[in-house]
Amino acid sequence: MKIFDPHVHMTSRTTDDYEAMADAGIVALVEPAFWLGQPRTTVGSFVDYFNSLIGWERFRASQFGIRHFCTIGLNPKESNNPKIAGEVLSLLPRYLDKDGVVAVGEIGFDDQTDAETASFRRQVDLAAEFNLPILIHTPHRDKKRGTVRSIEVVRAAGFPEERVLIDHNNEETLPIVLETACWAGHTIYPNTKMDEQRMAALVMKYGSDRVIVNSAADWGISDPLKVPKTIDVMRAHGIRDDVIQKIVWDNPVAFFAQSGKLDLAELDERPAIDRSQKFETNSVLRGEQVVSR
Amino acid sequence: MTDSARARLQSLLRARIDAPAMQWLDDAMSSQSHDELCRAYTAAPKHVGRAPIGVAEYGGWTADDAARCVLLLGVAERLEPQVFAAAAIECFERGDSREQQSWLRGLSLMPQPERFRAIAVDACRTNIVPLFESIACENPYPARFFPELNFNQLVLKAMFNDIALARIVGLRERSNAELTRMAADYAAERRAAGRSVPSDLALAMQHPIHEELAR
Repeated sequence: MKIFDPHVHMTSRTTDDYEAMADAGIVALVEPAFWLGQPRTTVGSFVDYFNSLIGWERFRASQFGIRHFCTIGLNPKESNNPKIAGEVLSLLPRYLDKDGVVAVGEIGFDDQTDAETASFRRQVDLAAEFNLPILIHTPHRDKKRGTVRSIEVVRAAGFPEERVLIDHNNEETLPIVLETACWAGHTIYPNTKMDEQRMAALVMKYGSDRVIVNSAADWGISDPLKVPKTIDVMRAHGIRDDVIQKIVWDNPVAFFAQSGKLDLAELDERPAIDRSQKFETNSVLRGEQVVSR
Repeated sequence: MTDSARARLQSLLRARIDAPAMQWLDDAMSSQSHDELCRAYTAAPKHVGRAPIGVAEYGGWTADDAARCVLLLGVAERLEPQVFAAAAIECFERGDSREQQSWLRGLSLMPQPERFRAIAVDACRTNIVPLFESIACENPYPARFFPELNFNQLVLKAMFNDIALARIVGLRERSNAELTRMAADYAAERRAAGRSVPSDLALAMQHPIHEELAR
């Protein structure tokens, strides 16, 4: 089965992960811009991070036969840093029209402060201006209220709900999101957020319309194979393959295709691997033989 | 107050570290530049070690925490308030995780501690649990200086990290209706996910519950 992982932080992962993901059927992924595990102290760190998302990381994925897309945005946590937030927001228009940038994100709430609200609203307006969908991170703490407030921000801006993916849902927030026209993402983690069994139960209860799953794997305890592992569990629960295919491919592709930057014919083919290629004179080869597939 | 806090820490240190280490600390207090101060701040454990202070009033402090606090308090006496604040912030921003922990532990002893509120709030966003604990636990600063929203987020984050709520100083005094609601929602979310609810959750719910929540 072809898999699209719509949320995975590959910058934190190794080439072994890329190989295992390709072997498990992952053909394409989206890497949302987020924070890096510790606060950045200057705007220049964001410039370099955004450049790596549209540059080196995209190339690195291609070397394992995986198409890499990204979202660009100022994350909720760092929206609280008045020293850099304004400068980062001013930087975003330079990135949003670039190839492979398929949404504005991750944006939304963390501590649910006034500064986060302001940054969130401003980026919803930017998404409207650049005709991009948005990816909303819902907070770990006080999640239900944060989800409701996120929907309020989208509605207050008059932003079309069908162009909004609300992520990291759980048993309490999924029904809230499904009452809107927004899409509902679920992050399958080893210990926190959502697990495979609970996800299968949610699909059996609520169906597959606008339902999406991702691994969100990052530098914490996480697993970039969680989408294929969730497929196995859904199958074990008797969920039909066409339903699963909709959740792990059709839905994320339909959502991000709204950016106008997914070439659907191209997505049908796994990119050819040519490891003789170089990105600004760098190769992923470290003395190994050149592989072409 | 500043002077007595410094004198008290120095006397605790004098009983725990040797004379050359005390001499090093005295010399370091006369650091003339930001750079000299930051280097001494970093080097403290090399000279004074990391033995626990072992006094309830300084829960979790080690000798290097105390020495770093003495260093900043000493410098604060000599410098203009704004120059001192800039130097202290530099020690934090250029510090590694241990240096930042020392800094946060001693924060409420600094002159005009409220001016460092933004840094203390921001420090709570860390994913490094010992760093989070250094501001959230056995530390009077959040209860004294955090706005309600940030204090509530601190308590919820402690729950997320399985940190005993009894370690949060002033939790009872700062309890409020919003925190009670957040804790109740957290319990509901955990139950919906088939997970356990922290046994000390009630400590975050010491404010009379709204009628609609009680139903």
